[in-house]
Amino acid sequence: MNLLEYALLAGLFYGLYFALVGVGLNLIFGVMRIINLAHGDFLMLGAYGAFYLYHLLGWNPLWAIPIELVVFLLIGLPLYYLLVPRLQKSGDPEMLSFILFFGLSQVIEAAAVFVFSNNQRSIPASVFGGAPINIAGQVFPVSWIVSAAVGLAGIGLIYAYLYHSRPGRATRAIMAERSEAAATGISVNRISALAFGIGIAAAALAGIFSPFMIGAIEPSMGIGITVISFAIIVIGSLGNPIGTLLGGLIYGEALMLMQTYLASWSELLPYVLLILILLVRPTGLLERAVRSA
Amino acid sequence: MLKRVVLLSLFLFIPTIAAAESSAPHEIRIGTLYAGSGAFASSSIPQYQGLRFWVRRVNARGGVFVKAYGRRIPVKLIAYNDQSQTGLAGSLYTQLITRDRVRILVADFGSVLTSVAIPLAEERQILLIDPTGTSAKFFRGNNRFLILTGLPSSGIWPTVLADFLIAHKIGRVAIIYSANDFTESQDQTLVSRIEAAGIHPVYNHAVANSTSSYTLLLHQAVARRAQALIELGYNNNDIALLQDLSAGGMHFAMVFTINPGLRVPLFLKAVGAQALGGTFTYVTPPSLAYNKVNYGLGLAAFKQAFEPWNRKHGNVPLGLSVIAGYNSGLIIQKALETAKRYDSVALRTAIRAVSGRLFTLDGLFKVDSRGNQIGEPIPLGQFFMSQEKLVLKVVYPAKVATAKPLYPAPRWGSGRG
Repeated sequence: MNLLEYALLAGLFYGLYFALVGVGLNLIFGVMRIINLAHGDFLMLGAYGAFYLYHLLGWNPLWAIPIELVVFLLIGLPLYYLLVPRLQKSGDPEMLSFILFFGLSQVIEAAAVFVFSNNQRSIPASVFGGAPINIAGQVFPVSWIVSAAVGLAGIGLIYAYLYHSRPGRATRAIMAERSEAAATGISVNRISALAFGIGIAAAALAGIFSPFMIGAIEPSMGIGITVISFAIIVIGSLGNPIGTLLGGLIYGEALMLMQTYLASWSELLPYVLLILILLVRPTGLLERAVRSA
Repeated sequence: MLKRVVLLSLFLFIPTIAAAESSAPHEIRIGTLYAGSGAFASSSIPQYQGLRFWVRRVNARGGVFVKAYGRRIPVKLIAYNDQSQTGLAGSLYTQLITRDRVRILVADFGSVLTSVAIPLAEERQILLIDPTGTSAKFFRGNNRFLILTGLPSSGIWPTVLADFLIAHKIGRVAIIYSANDFTESQDQTLVSRIEAAGIHPVYNHAVANSTSSYTLLLHQAVARRAQALIELGYNNNDIALLQDLSAGGMHFAMVFTINPGLRVPLFLKAVGAQALGGTFTYVTPPSLAYNKVNYGLGLAAFKQAFEPWNRKHGNVPLGLSVIAGYNSGLIIQKALETAKRYDSVALRTAIRAVSGRLFTLDGLFKVDSRGNQIGEPIPLGQFFMSQEKLVLKVVYPAKVATAKPLYPAPRWGSGRG
């Protein structure tokens, strides 16, 4: 078996999944210019949702997709109106968002400990069927293929929303220039609230598959996920949801190659990538594309 | 004249007697930390729960008997949440010693959170009870106030596992271990023992503690035609490994991981019975019952007393950590019952004096001169599937085995066996 081939293919599946992990954070930053440091905590809540649906009702995690998309979209809308308009009125919403969402992250984690306890949880990988799938002469777990497919579909849907729907075009107008968008009659708050809800729902969607891609579910997993998401969107360009796909793929490939050849150092990967991209191309790989979008 | 002498004597001695009585503390202050969140929370909170249960039991009888004062004194447990962070743990241990003035420290779960307590205890000359910080490094230096209570040092853990590999002539061994003191020392012991028997690991690799995907590493072990896959890590590592083995359809004649036998309910819920079936693991109480208990509750009585209280106070899963916390309380209790003075040196001397004679639900308590627990080797267990039910049995060494090992392990269900 060729380990390099396996690592590259595995990196592709992981990359598609990690693009989904990062896209919600990037959408929220692109539209509102705020950093949602509680992003990983919403992913964690999505993971617990799938866990309890499976363990209490015996539902396959795929059933959690429509349920969680609706539930987390509905959570995101009022949360936007509660937090973001006040932030936007401040002199430095980006910096204040760091503090506010860090606080929110801590609150969610503490509440999760209280409700779910600290024990690690997971969903048996056999839930998608036992036999692994053979692709290009290599054998991969079904759960990887499903996670990657959902990741790709999620990115595709967000792309379609942004480029082929009226609220999506309004969203891009706000991303380009918030005040000008408001001047043209776009309801900035309504569109931003929708983007905020979609961003949080995307995080929860990624959470459903985290037991198969990221490991055990636990209340403290959020902060690490947020750091990985941040690395992915910085690679692809902050505020550019399409760049997230590229960022996710680069992260996935780098992670799998590190695990194959430098396993002891793979924990450092998000930080190394962040430093490298900030030194070499601080605007991200697709910065030009976002301006012309 | 005689009357004067008696009166003078009384006059002189009464204040002395009163002073001795008043110098007895009104409570025995024990300080500890627990991880309310973070990587170690799932093991730390049960350990704290076991210690709390011991405190509740002794205080229900009016406190612990303290020989130095000849009477029972209530125990006060002062505990802070270190959130699994060593930096925070360091300052909280200091706070317990300097502000709360505890005389006895009980370290938080595991080697990582214990490591910061050791230099502080040495510097401040405080007795440090270490329930589960088993890093072999702790017991190489001259730490005069350290006592390991719950488990042997991690360097001793894999001795039975190594003997099993040698006895079954398993020549192609792949080892993946997390980069921390606890598992590195196990790796060192395992490798040195099997290499002495002529078995050279085909793969021996350290990975980050946060490793959550093992598939690539498993493929490396498969590529090297490993018969036995030994993974040495924490709960999160073991869960990820068992998931990846199950999903990836890979099969090894033997798979060993540390934690499933220590926390059976947690692993059963996390990865399911099919993924655990056939897996080799360590077996400790409560999966292993010692029947020679001469101090504290035996396992059955402990379960009976602990479970109703536990349900009302946090309801943690009953695993090794709970037993380790309770056992630490028993060792403190014995030390206070037998020490001639209530200070760290006398308490540690008392513990050394009872070493080798104390048999608790955690087995024989025996420490060497460095405070290293050497009482019980950890036997090897294996999960068996019996009528769709998972059962953990001791398979090695033969003198304590309750079943014969299944080697090569079969495939159970649709996933790995």
